[in-house]
Amino acid sequence: MITILSIAIDALAFGMVLFIISIGLSVMMGLARVVNLAHGAFAMIGGYIASYMLREAGAGFALSTLVAVLGTIAILMPLEFLLYRRLYRNADAFRQILMTIGLTFFIIGITNTVFGPTSKPIPLPEALSGPLDIGFRMVPAHYVLVIACGAITALGLWFLLDKTQFGTRIRATVDNAAMAESLGIRTEILYAATFALAVGLAAFGGVLGAQLLPIEPYYALRYMVIFLVVVSVGGAGSILGALAASLVLGLASTAGKYMAPEFGDFFFYLTVILVVFIFPHGLLGARK
Amino acid sequence: MHSLGRILGALVASAVVSVAHADTIKVGVIGPMSGPYALFGQNFKWGIDAWVAENGDTVGDHKVEFIFRDEESPDPAKSKALAQELIVKDRVQYLAGTYFTPNAMAAAPLLAQGKVPLVVMNAATSSIVEKSPYIVRTSFTMWQNTVPAAKVAKDMGSDKVAIAVSDYGPGHDARDAFKATFEEMGGEVVEEVNMPLSTTDFGPIMQRIKDSGADTIFTFLPSGPPTLAFVKAYIDNGLKADGIKLLSTGDVVTEPDLPAIGEAGLGILSTYHYAVSHDSPENAAFLEAMKTVGAKPGEVTMTAVAAYDGARLIYEMIEATDGKQDPDTAIEAVKGMSWASPRGPVSIDPQTRHIKQNVYLREVAKEGDTFINKETQTFEAQPDWGLAE
Amino acid sequence: MTAIGTTTAAGAPRLPGWVRYEVTAFAVVTALGLIGYLVFPFDLALLTRIIAVTFLVLSLDLVTGYAGVVTLGQAAIFGVAAYAVGNACLAGITDPVMLLGVGIIAGALMGLVSGVLISRFSALPQLVISIAFGQLVAALANKLAQFTGGSDGLAGFAPSAVLGVFEFDIFGRTSFGFSLVVLAVVLALLLRFVQSPFGLMCRGIRDDALRARMIGTAVYPRLIVMYGVSGAVAGVGGALSAINVGVVSLHSVSFEMSAEALVMLVVGGAGHLLGAVFGSILFQIFGHFVGSTNPFHWMTIVGGTLILITLFAPKGLYSAFASAMAKFRKSRVSQ
Repeated sequence: MITILSIAIDALAFGMVLFIISIGLSVMMGLARVVNLAHGAFAMIGGYIASYMLREAGAGFALSTLVAVLGTIAILMPLEFLLYRRLYRNADAFRQILMTIGLTFFIIGITNTVFGPTSKPIPLPEALSGPLDIGFRMVPAHYVLVIACGAITALGLWFLLDKTQFGTRIRATVDNAAMAESLGIRTEILYAATFALAVGLAAFGGVLGAQLLPIEPYYALRYMVIFLVVVSVGGAGSILGALAASLVLGLASTAGKYMAPEFGDFFFYLTVILVVFIFPHGLLGARK
Repeated sequence: MHSLGRILGALVASAVVSVAHADTIKVGVIGPMSGPYALFGQNFKWGIDAWVAENGDTVGDHKVEFIFRDEESPDPAKSKALAQELIVKDRVQYLAGTYFTPNAMAAAPLLAQGKVPLVVMNAATSSIVEKSPYIVRTSFTMWQNTVPAAKVAKDMGSDKVAIAVSDYGPGHDARDAFKATFEEMGGEVVEEVNMPLSTTDFGPIMQRIKDSGADTIFTFLPSGPPTLAFVKAYIDNGLKADGIKLLSTGDVVTEPDLPAIGEAGLGILSTYHYAVSHDSPENAAFLEAMKTVGAKPGEVTMTAVAAYDGARLIYEMIEATDGKQDPDTAIEAVKGMSWASPRGPVSIDPQTRHIKQNVYLREVAKEGDTFINKETQTFEAQPDWGLAE
Repeated sequence: MTAIGTTTAAGAPRLPGWVRYEVTAFAVVTALGLIGYLVFPFDLALLTRIIAVTFLVLSLDLVTGYAGVVTLGQAAIFGVAAYAVGNACLAGITDPVMLLGVGIIAGALMGLVSGVLISRFSALPQLVISIAFGQLVAALANKLAQFTGGSDGLAGFAPSAVLGVFEFDIFGRTSFGFSLVVLAVVLALLLRFVQSPFGLMCRGIRDDALRARMIGTAVYPRLIVMYGVSGAVAGVGGALSAINVGVVSLHSVSFEMSAEALVMLVVGGAGHLLGAVFGSILFQIFGHFVGSTNPFHWMTIVGGTLILITLFAPKGLYSAFASAMAKFRKSRVSQ
């Protein structure tokens, strides 16, 4: 029983990390309709900025995270004008894949040259590092941070997209861009805002997830597949779906690792196949 | 057509040039110059450059030229093509490098055909040297470094060990070596975990180890981001606080990774054939030479030493053959050769053509502001235990 | 329908239909082979490897370019065929032509399995199933070390001489020649195949699956058959890779391999067999030269180049080239 509970805790933490990192991609794929393979590269940029702030500039954790989010948005907004604007709602999946893979390579190459190939740690404040005794076992203290931030992110996004005017406009644009435009919604600005939101979430996830997915130049490629799988299993654009997918896949991965680690990612991907067969439109995705 | 003519012209011109320098002996070095393992390919280059900086680029009246090629990842098809190109196009007399085992294996059948010796500077699976009589290795094998680790565990008073290794060739070698040695000495292995190479979330694995009731963990992971996550998980899941000891091969605590592991890593024990902090005049000179060729102090790894010593072997072979392409004489010349390496006294085992060397027990410590692997015990002249039986 | 016929016959008189594809295939392959042999006489190993991967890209073109199935799991077929050939060779079947047959059968079977799983879905779920399928096969390949050699790779097998005459040599001449001939034959067959009623129907499915269904086409079974053919082609590539290299590693079933093949296809131009061939050759030669002249920055350079291609040749280089040629010819006609 304790073992099951123990696996559940690890699974919850890993699932939350998956959620925080993947939700930005879900926003991008669901709202801007871009299969953004460079999402991991965006998260990585956030991680590098946070690592620099913490280790070189001596800033606190909260401030570093904020700077990482805003800094990543600032660095990547020019790409919105130059590249991504051409991709929104563009039905040509090939073009999206090629451009975003190219961008990923480019960012990895630059990162490798500037920061070197070794991984960059993101040290946590004293209270959140080391083990935490929760009675029947010790867990890493950063689990608390990750789970709390995951819950807040999910709630915040739900509020933003379902309860604010911004959200209403975005949903209107996703459903019918031409109609939205004729109603006076400036879709261009809306897309730019969506891009910024997705990038900011990526950076946030990169920083918070760094304890389980360490920041290094090949981060962008190493986890690309996992992010894509989480979003697709959950249904692009669905916050609850992404949360459910993260938790289910987090559980599959954690339980697999505990019970039969030598099978590697076998159980993770087996679960993916099963879920897609049973829910081809995503766990909670909209039928479109 | 015009450009084709130009290319052909350039080819002819380059052929003429290579005739003019007929007495340049070329050495092809295959290493990961790009990709996640680029640091180690870079170290190949630094190590060789350091040797050349100290000893000049001529042997007798033969000029030696090193040509570098990028193997990037374990991709034998690509490596074989590179080796073939180096042999037939660049007409190299020696091959060197190979970070990954499958890549070394792919090159092995070419050596006899091309009459080219290969100096393996990393690939650490024991059986590689058996694939061709023209292979000699200056790096290490997992067996070589792991057998002393099992002895250390016994000496520390460990009874129940959990083995956690990366699930690939070298990991399996480390697991088998530790298990065989430790059980022979009467110890018990209570848990064996083969961890997928892609793992960075080690929470469940730590839980499993904890459930096994082990008092010591022996681990091997290839140097890189996962090692950091493994050490963190060991601490954060309370295994360190519970007094479970962590023992590893040096790959888990290579010097470039130490700053990232930070204070938390202090006290981690490992057995390995080279520590950057090794205290000897040879090592001091080596590190000095590394600096002059542009190596950053924080990025020196064991592959640089293997390359440095590998270059020494190549110079020796060129001298023995007087620059002629004669792989039998060349290999014969280095069998049994011994010298003082930056890592300590070493020799080439005449039977296996693998390097015999000291293996050290080290402890992660802090010296001033830098983290080092402090050597605390020496296991002298270790052979490759994987081939010794 | 005539896109391939007209563009490749550029300048040449129109050939009678019954040999057009064969002539095209042999002309293209011979020209490429000659250029390769003359310009890179010492790089035959590289060229041979490029040809093996070209089969993977061609096979991907069949399902992706001609039938609209976007997959990132095609290397699973290529790799399993390569492992099958390696094992067959270890078991005593050393004749290269027989081994090719083993590769084709293994590839076709894997293709059918992939088809059953992947082409059941469309859009994002399809992409994800393809990834998951590829990763499952990769995880199994690592686990089943007795058949695959695990991470050390499957090695120690040596095919005998081609037709009992041509021994595999260190210069790679036999490998190169053998691979070229196989490429010519397969390309000729495929050029004919994609113009067949079945091939045209697949294109109809790609363009509008719903309409195809409306006119009574059984979409799913057709896609599975297409996958079988595609698998056989990928199997040829895997077999050639195993025969020429003598080692099969996990790289051949990896996600990277699938992703690279897709990039090559899109660079060349999906939906054109010759586009697949050119994309594969150009990307790999470009990668080789950037990699050997500047290994430390090749990712930056390749990445930047890919972005430029999507900006200036969004339909792939082959289409860009073909439309440039068409414009050129039109301007000559109008003069």
